[in-house]
Amino acid sequence: MRDVLLILVPLVAAFALLPFVYSNHLLLFNFIIFIVLAQGVNVIYGFTGYLPFGYVGFFGAGAYGFSLMVLHLQAPPLLAIVVGAAAALALALVLTPLFRLSGAYFSIANLAASLAVLQVVANPNLENYTRGPYGISLSGIFNPPLAYATAVAILAMTLFAVIFLRNSKFGLALQAIREDAISASMAGINVVRERVIAWLLSALIAGLAGSVFAWYASVFYPETVFSGEFTIFAIVFALFGGTATLVGPILGVIILYGIYNAVGISTPQYFQLIYGALIIGLVLFLPNGLVSLLRRWGIDVP
Amino acid sequence: MLTYTLLAGLLFGLYFTLIGLGLNLVFGVMRIVNLAHGDFLMLGAFLAFWLFSLFAINPIPTIPIAFLVFLLLGFPLYYLLVPRLLRAKDPEMLSFILFFGLSQVIQALATILWGTSERSIPGGQLGRAIAAILSFVTGRTIENGPIEILGQSFPAAWVASGIASGIGVLLVYWYLYRTKLGYLTRAVMVSRDEAVASGIDVDRISAIAFGFGLGLAAVAGVFAPFLLGSITPAMGAEVTITSFAVIVIGSLGNPLGTLLGGLVYGISYMFMQSYYSSWANLLPYLLLIAVLLLRPNGLLGRQARRA
Amino acid sequence: MSPETPSLLQVTGLVKRFGGFRALDGLRFHLNAGEILGLVGPNGSGKTTCINVISGLYAPDGGEIRLGGQSIGGLPSHRLVHAGINRTFQIPKPFLTMTVLQNVEVSVAYGGHGQEGLDPHYFLKLLDLESHAKQPAAELNSAQQKLLDLARALATKPRVLLVDELAAGLNPAELEKIAAKLKELARSGMAILVVEHLMGFIDQVTDRVVVMNAGKEIFEGVLADAIRNPRVVEVFLGQDDAA
Repeated sequence: MRDVLLILVPLVAAFALLPFVYSNHLLLFNFIIFIVLAQGVNVIYGFTGYLPFGYVGFFGAGAYGFSLMVLHLQAPPLLAIVVGAAAALALALVLTPLFRLSGAYFSIANLAASLAVLQVVANPNLENYTRGPYGISLSGIFNPPLAYATAVAILAMTLFAVIFLRNSKFGLALQAIREDAISASMAGINVVRERVIAWLLSALIAGLAGSVFAWYASVFYPETVFSGEFTIFAIVFALFGGTATLVGPILGVIILYGIYNAVGISTPQYFQLIYGALIIGLVLFLPNGLVSLLRRWGIDVP
Repeated sequence: MLTYTLLAGLLFGLYFTLIGLGLNLVFGVMRIVNLAHGDFLMLGAFLAFWLFSLFAINPIPTIPIAFLVFLLLGFPLYYLLVPRLLRAKDPEMLSFILFFGLSQVIQALATILWGTSERSIPGGQLGRAIAAILSFVTGRTIENGPIEILGQSFPAAWVASGIASGIGVLLVYWYLYRTKLGYLTRAVMVSRDEAVASGIDVDRISAIAFGFGLGLAAVAGVFAPFLLGSITPAMGAEVTITSFAVIVIGSLGNPLGTLLGGLVYGISYMFMQSYYSSWANLLPYLLLIAVLLLRPNGLLGRQARRA
Repeated sequence: MSPETPSLLQVTGLVKRFGGFRALDGLRFHLNAGEILGLVGPNGSGKTTCINVISGLYAPDGGEIRLGGQSIGGLPSHRLVHAGINRTFQIPKPFLTMTVLQNVEVSVAYGGHGQEGLDPHYFLKLLDLESHAKQPAAELNSAQQKLLDLARALATKPRVLLVDELAAGLNPAELEKIAAKLKELARSGMAILVVEHLMGFIDQVTDRVVVMNAGKEIFEGVLADAIRNPRVVEVFLGQDDAA
């Protein structure tokens, strides 16, 4: 409850009010998307230890689920978002057998799966269904203010989900599974089921983000919404701040995405250099992220 | 068409084997995932490109140069990154993230130095060297041009890389099974802890294997402009995934498995190209997932890889 | 217990293969409520495999495991836990970054008994871990981690408790204490299977022993008779701890 009041409410309020005083709404929107995605990575990596290297697959599935609903069935955006989220969930369900793989194999297989989905969506043979490589244009429903408001709502839902995970029996079970799956099953936890639930929750979050991204952008190519950069940024932001925490991924996005916008857009290679070096440094010297540094200094962060 | 597809698949398969070989060696010895493997290949490709464009050095002599340079680069890199990593709680997963970071650094530096434009080396260069070598070996004058095998003609570069890859596989095999160091390397592969306990200098063995891994990637890189098309600093990621597909199809730690994986991959890739070209790009991903799920130990493997 | 009353845990013809190796090869024994049974045998005779199969870590390749008359062989671990089986590990496996209290809370929450008045602190006090409740489990020493393992197992209210090498590494005072705890648990009706190398400990706590060799039982009875049994002596020949 404390986390809701101290973190969720102020952050959501800030993003709800900032557009009235700050004119670069696209930037604010992107901040929201990355906080949501970093928290989505947090849900599956921070709480179960499985690193989703193809996380963008769910984002793209959401974007395409949304867009195809609008294109082919002229669905209203809010309904299409539900379908986009469902598309991401369906993809996650199809991929559940990947949990039979351990560690890096899971990550590689997940990456391969997201690239396979991209290859299918962007295939010229499917132009009639997906517009193939020529991309999506949804000018009819273009409504940035409403899409932005929806994104803020998704942000609130996502943060609430993470707060729930950190304070519930379910979250405790996930942590136990991450620490030692065998011991967890001897505590009576259905390891397979709980992991899949976390996986679906994580995919749902990315699917919602992808849907609202498609709505806000309205025009995009398959490579845009399946770009590996979404995965990479989300993972790096979450790791940098500290996974399995609430504020870690938020801090990570605000600091790193802030730097990115200062130096990254004009000279992306310098940003790439910085975050590559940051990752190496993190793994070697601070594997639990910025938050662990704060904790070492005696500052307790949720 | 069938013969052509099979033979082309074979040549590419050998090349894919070379691509996967170094990654497999590093994984087999250290149980870490070098996600920057493709980026070292990219660096090898640029080395060949610059040596050719600045000093007109033919790619063939570049092969040993690339191998040595990257072998030597491997030692400091190993001692800088790996021992610390192996002391962590979950080195396999952490290595994945760490080498991803390294991959980003390499890509960024390459982009800063060389820009994002696509570069290539004229295909004839490799062919000229091959023709010269063949003329010297056979004592007859061999024209520079496509090489005929079983009535099918292939670019000389394909044949050259196929041969070089074959030699590479044999050398790794010879190293592992016929030399003292290779014997120790295999001991470390079986059990790092036991190797430490029996007094093997595990770090030295691993550093050498790590250097070999990078060297092999760089050698594969020398051929990249001829087999993978033009080269860019960003080409590494896709190569890494392909290498993964190859070594996963074979089996981890086993150089013969990599050969099998490379051939299966190369031949199926060529068949997809010939008969379903628009879906050919899907192949590595589907093959990778299918093999991981259906035969998680690879076609030749025994080691468990399940959660 | 009279033969016509079925035992709480009944194992018959249990087989577990690893490749061509039969770690369990037709093992048969039974365990009654309120009894402490020792499972002894040389290294590699299949004792730990037996516990791993009964607790669902491995699926059996043959034979039958019955708990209270119900066949339970091959069920996943968490369902066995809910059915009333739990265990400790030879090398303790606590959730290292979680606190000692959280370790037990997980078992209380998921052990299949709801929250119905189970107090995690009760189990910590029972095993003298209460003063460490707020510490991460990683900070415990290995003897304390073993006790935490046991606390976690008890927190799921098992009817059958499988104890794998609990005594190794404990000092004599701790051994004394743990032996008393196990006996007390048995008196309350719990069936306990103890795998142990320390014969003194086995002698102290068990009512009965089953001696295993090569995946099969070769003796069943009290320990005093076991050490006079020629087959048992043969199997242990050269093994100091049989003396």
